[in-house]
Amino acid sequence: MIELSVSRARSTLASLRLAVLMFLADPQWLIPSMIAPVIFGLVAFEIFRGSGPYFVVYAILGAGMMSMWGQTLYGSGWATGQDREFGTLEPTLQAPTPYLYVVLGRVIWNVLSGLIGGLIVYLVVILAYGRPPPLVDPWAFAGLFVFVVLTLAAVGVVFAAFYVYTRYAGFIQNVGEFAFYVGTGCMFPVVLLPFWTSPFSLFFPPTWALDALRYLAIPGYAGFSWGFGIDLLGAVGTTAVYLAVAGSVFQQVQRHVLESGDLQEY
Amino acid sequence: MAPLDPVPTLRPSFWRNLWANAVFSPRTSLGFMRLDFVLGTIFIIPFTQMLFFAFTVQLGGGSAAAIQFVVVGNAVATVTYSSVFSVCQTTDSEKNQGTMEHLLVSPANRLALYLGRGLIPIGVSLATVTVALTYAAVVFHVPIAAADDPALAVSIVLTAFAMVGFGLVLGGVALYLRTSIILGNIFLFIGLLFSGANFPLTDLPAPLQAVGYGLPLTWGLAAIRAALSGASLGSLLRLWGILGFAIAISLLLAMALWDYFERRALSTGSIARF
Repeated sequence: MIELSVSRARSTLASLRLAVLMFLADPQWLIPSMIAPVIFGLVAFEIFRGSGPYFVVYAILGAGMMSMWGQTLYGSGWATGQDREFGTLEPTLQAPTPYLYVVLGRVIWNVLSGLIGGLIVYLVVILAYGRPPPLVDPWAFAGLFVFVVLTLAAVGVVFAAFYVYTRYAGFIQNVGEFAFYVGTGCMFPVVLLPFWTSPFSLFFPPTWALDALRYLAIPGYAGFSWGFGIDLLGAVGTTAVYLAVAGSVFQQVQRHVLESGDLQEY
Repeated sequence: MAPLDPVPTLRPSFWRNLWANAVFSPRTSLGFMRLDFVLGTIFIIPFTQMLFFAFTVQLGGGSAAAIQFVVVGNAVATVTYSSVFSVCQTTDSEKNQGTMEHLLVSPANRLALYLGRGLIPIGVSLATVTVALTYAAVVFHVPIAAADDPALAVSIVLTAFAMVGFGLVLGGVALYLRTSIILGNIFLFIGLLFSGANFPLTDLPAPLQAVGYGLPLTWGLAAIRAALSGASLGSLLRLWGILGFAIAISLLLAMALWDYFERRALSTGSIARF
């Protein structure tokens, strides 16, 4: 049993290492994770200029979230898409290690690079602002921020699984990018959107987690009326559902490949 | 028997070349040109991008005029997807598909070849801005007077041509690069910061303003904003003149870049590959 766990951990580590090397060899992923968010952060900073110190937090959080969303949308899509394009999907699925552990290594790198992007956004915006933004409880903020990242990772794993079954991954990534930013309230509270859009927004774990994070970081923040505690519960609940869905979809993918063997066709 | 023409005309005509490139390039070398992408670029991206920035301004306590400012700015800025991002990938795709060598040894007129590839993106760009401005008027209540329509139409057309010209310049640069994706993406996003799409260019430090004035999007936006505000013909003509100049410079620069890198490719044989 222990041997099995070690083997799976080794596969995830190897996959993570390869993801880092591929990122360095083909740095086009710098754009969604680092360049675009910095620009969005600076645009938001300029738009919020003169609105008050806590709006700097909005700009940093928003652009940081966009960095991680970008990495989730593009990177996690590619986490399975690359196997289809390179023709390695079926051989990888035939390996004794479950495919999920291979994808996990790639998703972990996406999360890490998204975090690095968020850090770069933070540094650039405070450079423009001239001082660090005010934070009520920096340690709790940091802890919750890591949780927000985990909710995005859960979304990333579901997307990675879903993209195996669709030829429209590129469409969802490129055309749907701003829709995700709007729908999950990256830069502004979701409550600003029309009420009927809320169910769609609440479908995504980051919406809950980000609202909780803003409650923690911005005094007087007016997000969902149920407040911080329910936001946190909602984030944990939806993340658990996403992880369960991802696990079952990946199992189905594996079964499908073993039965029909036609997933490699790109 | 009639004597044979000693020098048969092998070069296809300019117009035939132009048309063939216009028709085939969306299916072969331009990026972002699958039907779902094109429809998404025209109908979805402008709406979601305008919505994003409109709500951001609303959060910051911006006035209705400030919201309309960013709505119009982003309505025009979304043209970058079809003009710059799509067009600059054309040389990239040729290298990726292994067809660059064949292209370099063909006698095809380079202006027809290059300009032809920009025709469909110009059409998509026109549609994108038109649909986006319709959203601006219907959803965000940006006032567009019927009397301003002709000036607006001229501004949109010139902006589309100028942006595609800029995309062709980047495509020329991409001939020398391993990939044009980074270049295209950088210019896709810096327009949001340096062109006056989201705040007046004068809010930026002077060196960054200079960068902004070097982008055709800045002048296209200025022309469209001027047309919407019912500016005098004199000021419109000045902006149209600058856009016309940008189109001419872009085409000349694109041709020069293509010529330079083509010579390098033929002499070294090293940059035609991906």
